[in-house]
Amino acid sequence: MDKSKLAVPTTEEKREGELEFQIAELLSDAQYEGHPLKEALSALWERYESLSGQIEKLTSISDGYGSMLRERNARLDERNQRHLRQLQKIVRISDHYQKMLQEMNDTLKVSASQDPLTGLNNRRSIMERLAAEVTLVPRRKAALSLALLDIDHFKTINDSFGHDVGDHVLVNISRVMSEQVRSSDVCARWGGEEFLIMLPDSGDYAHEVCERLRLTIEKSSFVEGSDYKVTASIGVTQYIRGEDILETLKRADSALFAAKHKGRNCVAAF
Amino acid sequence: MTMTDIRLAATQSTPAVIATIATGSHDGSLEMRGDSYPENSFEFFTPVFNWVENLLAQPNATLKMELYLLYLNTSSVKAMMDIFDLLEEAFGEGKKVSIAWYYDNDNERIAELAEEFKEDCSFPFAINTLS
Repeated sequence: MDKSKLAVPTTEEKREGELEFQIAELLSDAQYEGHPLKEALSALWERYESLSGQIEKLTSISDGYGSMLRERNARLDERNQRHLRQLQKIVRISDHYQKMLQEMNDTLKVSASQDPLTGLNNRRSIMERLAAEVTLVPRRKAALSLALLDIDHFKTINDSFGHDVGDHVLVNISRVMSEQVRSSDVCARWGGEEFLIMLPDSGDYAHEVCERLRLTIEKSSFVEGSDYKVTASIGVTQYIRGEDILETLKRADSALFAAKHKGRNCVAAF
Repeated sequence: MTMTDIRLAATQSTPAVIATIATGSHDGSLEMRGDSYPENSFEFFTPVFNWVENLLAQPNATLKMELYLLYLNTSSVKAMMDIFDLLEEAFGEGKKVSIAWYYDNDNERIAELAEEFKEDCSFPFAINTLS
């Protein structure tokens, strides 16, 4: 915008100014004293002055409101922007916290269902899996089998080679177990040196797997620097439709006891 | 005005809060520890916010915040940001304010979160591992 326009009066303004000056001159001129037009003109002049004063005042008040509103809008706008930024930050951080919680939850779930030493399912976890599997039995072709495996003379291993070696044996037998079974089978650390294997839809196949597992353990050397032979006894049984799963577990335990009684390092089926 | 210290023990859902001012000065320290997901976070944080606001209203006030916070729910995040805004304002007035946020080495996520809080703060804001 041309700034000079603001400072220098336009021709129209100049003309108006000249007219006002001329009228002021005429009204103050003594030679027109008593002239009939003078009184009328001076009354008109006064009214003109007061009206233009009013217009000026009105304009300035209205301008003031205008600029006040503009300022207030700018302030509100700034405040809104600030609130929006703050809100975005809160949402971002809060989402981040939720993600952290979710991860902690996942970790907790794993540690609640896993045996920390062997990484197998723990007792609680396999009991849940068993309960779920029992409901699926009617839909399976073959029976659900359970096998209980116990490492023979584990106390002797611990006592003669130390607990580190004992742990090493537990970890390695867990590994062998997981390798020998199907991916649909579930291995768990049942307690101490005892393991439970759930074999859904397996029937007679379960006995074969257990025999193979027993043989693999017998052939492996788990104690480094020693020719000590680690062996395991296994009791295997099938779930009978309609019975409580605890009955099946009891039977597997009796089968394991029978395998131990037969001289260990063997599989007994009930 | 006279300011009373704040001493709140941690609960299941609220952090421990210890707010003290060194005698004969306006040098304050505010320590917060634990998880924060209060049922009514407004009720919980208002006294803390007011304490900080009152302290920083003193012309020669200083404030050192030490945080050992773990989980914060959304309203606690907002409350902490409001408190940090007070520090930012005081820092702008030339007051000595600072935050040190401590986290356990095996919980890197806390450090990332502290980093996000720090983003718009121009006053000293340290993020340290506990060791």
